[in-house]
Amino acid sequence: MTQYDAIVIGAGHNGLAAAATLAGAGKKVVVLEKNGDPGGMAANSTVAPGYECPAMAHLLSNLDGAEIASLGLERHGFAYAATDLPTISLSSDGKHIVSDAKGVRYADGGALAGEAEFLTLRARLIRFADQLAALKRKPPPSLSGIDWREAASLGKLALGLRRMGKEDMREFLRVLLSNSYDTILDEIDDGPLAGAFALDSVLGGHVGPRSPGTVLTLMYRLANGGAKHQPRGGMGAVMRAFEKSAKSAGAEIRYGAAVERMVLSGDRVTGVVLADGTEISGARVLSSLDPKTTMVLAGVGNFDAEMIRRARHIRTKGCTAKVNLALSAAPVFTGLSDDLHRGRILHAPSLAVMEKAFNLAKYGELPTSPILEVTIPSLADPGLVDGDGHVLSAVVQYVPYSLKQGWADDSRNALGDVVVDCLDQFAPGLKAAVTARQVLSPADIEAQTGAPGGHWHHGEMIADQMLMLRPAPGIERYALPVEGLYLCGASTHPGGDVTGIPGCNAAKAALQVKLGRAAA
Amino acid sequence: MTGHRPNLKDGLPVRRGLVETPFDRHLRPFSLAEDWMPWAGFVSARRFETVEAEYFAIRNQATLFDISPMHKYAITGRDALAVVNRLVTRNAAKLGDNRVGYTVWCDEDGSVIDDGTLFRFSETEFQLCCQEPQYSWLHDIAWGFDVTIEDQSDTIAGLALQGPTSFAVLKEAGFDGVENLKPFGIMDVASGLKISRTGFTGDLGYELWVEASKADELWDRLWPAGQNYGLRPIGGEALDMARIEAGFIAARVDFQPIHDAQRPSRGRTPFELGLDWLVDFEKGHFNGRRALLEAQRRGPRTLLVGLEIEGHKPARDAFVYHGKKKEAGHVTSALWSPTCKRNLALAELRAPYGVSVKDDLWVEIYHPKEGKWEKVMAQAKIAERPFFKNKRRSATPPGLF
Ligand SMILES: Cc1cc2nc3c(=O)[nH]c(=O)nc-3n(C[C@H](O)[C@H](O)[C@H](O)COP(=O)(O)OP(=O)(O)OC[C@H]3O[C@@H](n4cnc5c(N)ncnc54)[C@H](O)[C@@H]3O)c2cc1C
Repeated sequence: MTQYDAIVIGAGHNGLAAAATLAGAGKKVVVLEKNGDPGGMAANSTVAPGYECPAMAHLLSNLDGAEIASLGLERHGFAYAATDLPTISLSSDGKHIVSDAKGVRYADGGALAGEAEFLTLRARLIRFADQLAALKRKPPPSLSGIDWREAASLGKLALGLRRMGKEDMREFLRVLLSNSYDTILDEIDDGPLAGAFALDSVLGGHVGPRSPGTVLTLMYRLANGGAKHQPRGGMGAVMRAFEKSAKSAGAEIRYGAAVERMVLSGDRVTGVVLADGTEISGARVLSSLDPKTTMVLAGVGNFDAEMIRRARHIRTKGCTAKVNLALSAAPVFTGLSDDLHRGRILHAPSLAVMEKAFNLAKYGELPTSPILEVTIPSLADPGLVDGDGHVLSAVVQYVPYSLKQGWADDSRNALGDVVVDCLDQFAPGLKAAVTARQVLSPADIEAQTGAPGGHWHHGEMIADQMLMLRPAPGIERYALPVEGLYLCGASTHPGGDVTGIPGCNAAKAALQVKLGRAAA
Repeated sequence: MTGHRPNLKDGLPVRRGLVETPFDRHLRPFSLAEDWMPWAGFVSARRFETVEAEYFAIRNQATLFDISPMHKYAITGRDALAVVNRLVTRNAAKLGDNRVGYTVWCDEDGSVIDDGTLFRFSETEFQLCCQEPQYSWLHDIAWGFDVTIEDQSDTIAGLALQGPTSFAVLKEAGFDGVENLKPFGIMDVASGLKISRTGFTGDLGYELWVEASKADELWDRLWPAGQNYGLRPIGGEALDMARIEAGFIAARVDFQPIHDAQRPSRGRTPFELGLDWLVDFEKGHFNGRRALLEAQRRGPRTLLVGLEIEGHKPARDAFVYHGKKKEAGHVTSALWSPTCKRNLALAELRAPYGVSVKDDLWVEIYHPKEGKWEKVMAQAKIAERPFFKNKRRSATPPGLF
């Protein structure tokens, strides 16, 4: 039987990034993926024959140059179809608002009252986000025994904060744990602009704009200036690039290989057993699954009860669904130029509406007015569709994982209808052009990816589950207490989104540790 | 039952104050001292008459101590053994069926949560008896396993029958088969009644575990049988003397149960309590194992030791010094032992004292003398525990004294 240096569970992009990093360091690596394709939450799906659409994740904002370079993604086919997408916030009065790096304006070009205040706020939060950027890339500072390198990076943060000047620093500390509702509405009026800006603070989370800590989440998302890019070939193509990166570094990838449990020898992991009974041995196991699932696979009895309790109590209720449409013709949004159709089109009419939508989700109800992040990727990337049609990709925020009526087809259809009806109001004729529809509830996302609650980040990204508290105190440095066992997925620092950082960081952590002689 | 205790707020539907144990109505008439104390929400006797008489009854006759307030948990189901072994530091797989083992259990830092006795009826049926409430902790430990945790603290009553004539009392009461019960054995003697040969006195003795509804029946059988054997009820104070002689440690006295401690630094490992023999690293993972391996490597920070002290002034709450000057620790339990005729104590010493430095230890004893405090610096020697040993504790069949 082959003896691997490392077994990676899950061929999501983090598992693949970990595998590429480990294989690149000369380790013999195998990636085990239960599905037939790479990518997990960032795969493509075929909405109808000839209609490729990003199944869940569709936009890149946090995939950093460093990861792109270290994984050689461009060499393996990664490219953008469009960069720095403008954000369009739909308004029922037709006065849609466009924001991009240059500023904000009405879609018809008209100037916007409150532009200056908004830009000041955004610039300030981006400045703050820059201070956090360093913390985001590195493993989080450890609570148990700070070493000098960490002290140095924390020191740098402190120095950076000081350099911002007294006023900025005071403001930074004031808003750090605040909520986006107060922070945004302190500066601008509620409406589509406020809604669009706030969406990044809640997207993917079980939180409303009024939930504490949402400003920190927003700053996290603004770490790269908040720009959003559309990858060529859909997010699935990015995943193919991750896959090639891992393979060309020498990693082996097995699909249809669901890990059922791990094998331990004493206090050390020595391999895994697949659902079909196949046993695979390896000196290290890196799991891109959440801590609880990972600990269950390794055997609850191998962890202290406190650790299990922390893992059980990580908040993982997903609140985001996905609706993908195959369209016979390109939708036409009233009041938007052709170019703007290629942007990131939001339905987030106001913070008040968003908070109400969150309330419905909290109580297990379907949304009545959906909060949406929509792209029509085939406009900038015609290759996604065979023929003249188009695909539309809609992330639907505030769809409860625990739907009161349960997630059967009628609930899925109801959600699909709400989304299509909403869009049809802004793009008349869109509904009639739908030839196929795919609705993925949080429960479906859980079933497909194994992420608990179908949660975007595999675990809520809010202050008490971030940095050295992510995924839980005591396991913030990727290693679990069982020797050779690591977490490498979105549940770890710095969290979800397509960044590759958890995977790369975990692999580096694993490479730093010398295993016991027997494990080699 | 407590019509005589008025509720402060009339008509309050909730029972207030301490609760009587199922044996209360039998015991209460013996209380001449009316000296009661709270124990886990129950009323418990500190003494019935005089501590001295009760203490001597433990060593010379037979005594009944009401242990109903002990927390009792049934751990049953397919994974019961796995759960118990996940909980405790010793290996419950090595405990035979119908055997009892003393044990401790630890948190993730290796600090002792509590100590107690573990009853193994079979691989799928255990009972844990202890001082501190453990219901929620047991659920944390059991998560992911196929077991049921039942809190039997209110449904099982207990009597500790201890002393040289305790076997004779049981025989007189007609409990057949008890003569074959070895120390740390347990047997069913009647429906709803189990007897274990266990106790806190280090003497011949038994613990009787009975369904609360059958407590009266048990009392009515036991009490008359004890009349010719000097049977008398005792309170917690006399028992405490016997337990120090027997060398047993008490939660909140000799160590701070970590879940109850506000200061994490007050946690103690089993090694620091001198309980190395209870830790089995070979049995696979158990709670706190990794921390305990580290603790073993690092060596104890403190050590609980037995002390024999010159003179006869009990060294209660005293500081321990090295070379009369350097503070080395403090006494946690102490008494002048009437049976051993020695001045005894348990003390927590800070390493290296007690660990590598064992001589030149002194105890500063303060004692009141008719309104005036006097102090002596008495020499102390580390002494083997148990301080009190007697062959009758383990002879099987036991003697009929
Ligand atoms: C609806 C939705 C929209 C999103 N949109 C965006 C977006 O636009 N931009 C963005 O940056 N992020 C987005 N995200 C978040 C992002 O997709 C995820 O955070 C990220 O892809 C997580 O990557 P991962 O590798 O850590 O985990 P995953 O992608 O979840 O990968 C885990 C992998 O493990 C596999 N697996 C599970 N169990 C087993 C097992 N027992 N054995 C073997 N394999 C197993 C799964 O099949 C899966 O392939 C979105 C998420 C959702 C849900």
